[in-house]
Amino acid sequence: MSATEELRASARPSPLRSLATVIAVELAAAVLLRLFLLSDDTAVIVALLALMGAGFALLQIRPAIEDAIVAAFGEARLAALLLGGIIVLAYPFFLNGSSYALHLLIIAQLYAVLALALNFQLGSANIPNFATGASYGIGAYTSALLAIHFGISFWLALPVAALVATVFGFLLGFPSMRTKESYLALVTIAFGIVIHQLLNNFSWTGGPNGLVGIPAPILFGHSFARPLEVFGHRLPSQANFYYLSAALVALSILSARRLHDSRVGLAWNALRADELAARCQGINVVWYKMLAFGVDAFLAAFAGTVYAFYVSYISPDNFTFIVSVTIMTMVIVGGMDNTLGVILGAFLLTLLPEKLRIFSDYRLLFVSVVVILFLVLRPQGLFQQRARHYGGK
Amino acid sequence: MVTASDTAAPILETRDLTISFGGLVAVNGVDLRLARSEVMCIIGPNGAGKSTLFNLISGIYRPTRGQVLFDGQDITGKPVHRIAAIGIARTFQSSRLFNDLTLLDNVLIGMHTRTRSGVLDALLRPGRARAELDAAAERAEAILHGLSPALHARRNTLAGALPQADRRRLEIARALASEPKVIMLDEPSSGMDDRDTDALIGDVRRVMAEKPGLSFLIIEHDMRLVATLPDRVTVIDYGSKIAEGDYADIRVMPRVQEAYLGQRAANA
Ligand SMILES: Nc1ncnc2c1ncn2[C@@H]1O[C@H](COP(=O)(O)OP(=O)(O)OP(=O)(O)O)[C@@H](O)[C@H]1O
Ligand SMILES: [Mg+2]
Repeated sequence: MSATEELRASARPSPLRSLATVIAVELAAAVLLRLFLLSDDTAVIVALLALMGAGFALLQIRPAIEDAIVAAFGEARLAALLLGGIIVLAYPFFLNGSSYALHLLIIAQLYAVLALALNFQLGSANIPNFATGASYGIGAYTSALLAIHFGISFWLALPVAALVATVFGFLLGFPSMRTKESYLALVTIAFGIVIHQLLNNFSWTGGPNGLVGIPAPILFGHSFARPLEVFGHRLPSQANFYYLSAALVALSILSARRLHDSRVGLAWNALRADELAARCQGINVVWYKMLAFGVDAFLAAFAGTVYAFYVSYISPDNFTFIVSVTIMTMVIVGGMDNTLGVILGAFLLTLLPEKLRIFSDYRLLFVSVVVILFLVLRPQGLFQQRARHYGGK
Repeated sequence: MVTASDTAAPILETRDLTISFGGLVAVNGVDLRLARSEVMCIIGPNGAGKSTLFNLISGIYRPTRGQVLFDGQDITGKPVHRIAAIGIARTFQSSRLFNDLTLLDNVLIGMHTRTRSGVLDALLRPGRARAELDAAAERAEAILHGLSPALHARRNTLAGALPQADRRRLEIARALASEPKVIMLDEPSSGMDDRDTDALIGDVRRVMAEKPGLSFLIIEHDMRLVATLPDRVTVIDYGSKIAEGDYADIRVMPRVQEAYLGQRAANA
């Protein structure tokens, strides 16, 4: 029995301690995020980063702590879910009515969805795809065009746009039948650039000016452009989209977990580890690669649709190659094939540049240094892939 | 034990199987007939074309000439995953495990063709997909345990951390998991000491007893294994079959001795 297994066994018996651990970790995360969001002081931001760095350094030196936390969350899963849900629902009420903080959270959550989408490819199957930004754009444009020209509601545009993007995703995955890994990466880069150019040059996409006047979604007569009133409490209109994107993140997490812990997730991991050996186990590698492209595009288009209806104005420059690279960095920093890690990577890389505006021109340099430091601390990403468990064990 | 292997319809057959890489004819007009339940060893000096023959049968290489038949059906040129699915499993000379996954996951992936759940099942019918995977995991545990209780005890550790002999054992477990009709082992004893090799011979015997219909094609250098396990031995030299039959008969054939002596001379 290895040291970690012994620890797991010893960490198991006390449900009360697990519960306390779960509550402490979730509340601490919520409080730190709030500090981060509401602080205008760069010193505070840097201090928070240092604290986070120290936390991960500690986890790296003492893996037992991480194992204990993971075990606690496994033990008190229901409580963790419940508390997490309550925190997410209550969060907008604790942001001093700041619409800017809500805006940041919306963008971070949309990027979390995008990073989870790409994780199916990059994390699970190690297929480099530089076109997630393009799928994001295809989703945004499809739903925006449907809404503007045909008056189709957000709720119908959402799945239609996702299906359209999925078809494109499969087409993009098609060359994986013939081309090798590195060429496939080039194909995805080319695809991203072609989509960007097309959006820029077609007249029906509005060219470089993009599309304006995308109507806000309406749910049960409530327009998402209006403030949200809950129990006499008035939240900025961004709160509508905050909850919408939170729901999308929840859906993405659910999909990610179900796929990871399935025969499909296993097949993706197999071809990530050794493609030839995977084929010899009867895995149709081409199909599973195309499938990864399809799933990536499907989820990315969801995020694109929400984005388009949120900002109500989109242009080709929202969906450039740089966007794809950013999403890729989120997956790598967060940790390949770890849901929580990928989300954390997305939050970090969305919020950090915003909060470091004071560094103006050196902002990206600073962000890059932070990313590199985190990767030095945790070479496998912030969190590693977790082992699967079977039979409820 | 099969004796009249030539009269029974073979489960696996190659006809005039040939492949050349540029000027080099790595496998040259090889005719093989592997009967149901038969254990056949393939021996031959280094570079004779044994592994290439496996790669041809499992579809990794496309032959320049000739055919591969499985249960009477022509499977030449079929994709690798199809050939695996119809019931030909294999191991590799330098083992190719999924190193960053657990032993259990490795065996489970070996069951890919024996399970069905697709992406929609996983997303929309998670209960059913989960139940299928849990049942498969139970079988995977049984296979691991049957092959080696020690391996089973380590089922939740990563395959990359295994010592050489256990890597080979796990590869065999993964191959068995697909419930094949033919299993091809490429030098299963390489990198093993005598004790491990004895254990390996025991393992293969046990599998033979448990799965009476299963046929084995084993590339081997270890003569203790070749002397004890197979019904028949095929000798390959410079890509061609030069002898076939009982080990006792084969070892005294001048051509065979020449092939091995020639190699020894070349190696010296
Ligand atoms: N893909 C390839 N391209 C070119 N030559 C190849 C290729 N694969 C194998 N060969 C050559 O074919 C010959 C047979 O190789 P093979 O690996 O089948 O030998 P082997 O009998 O398995 O030898 P060993 O006992 O060393 O494993 C060798 O000369 C090898 O260099
Ligand atoms: Mg070989």
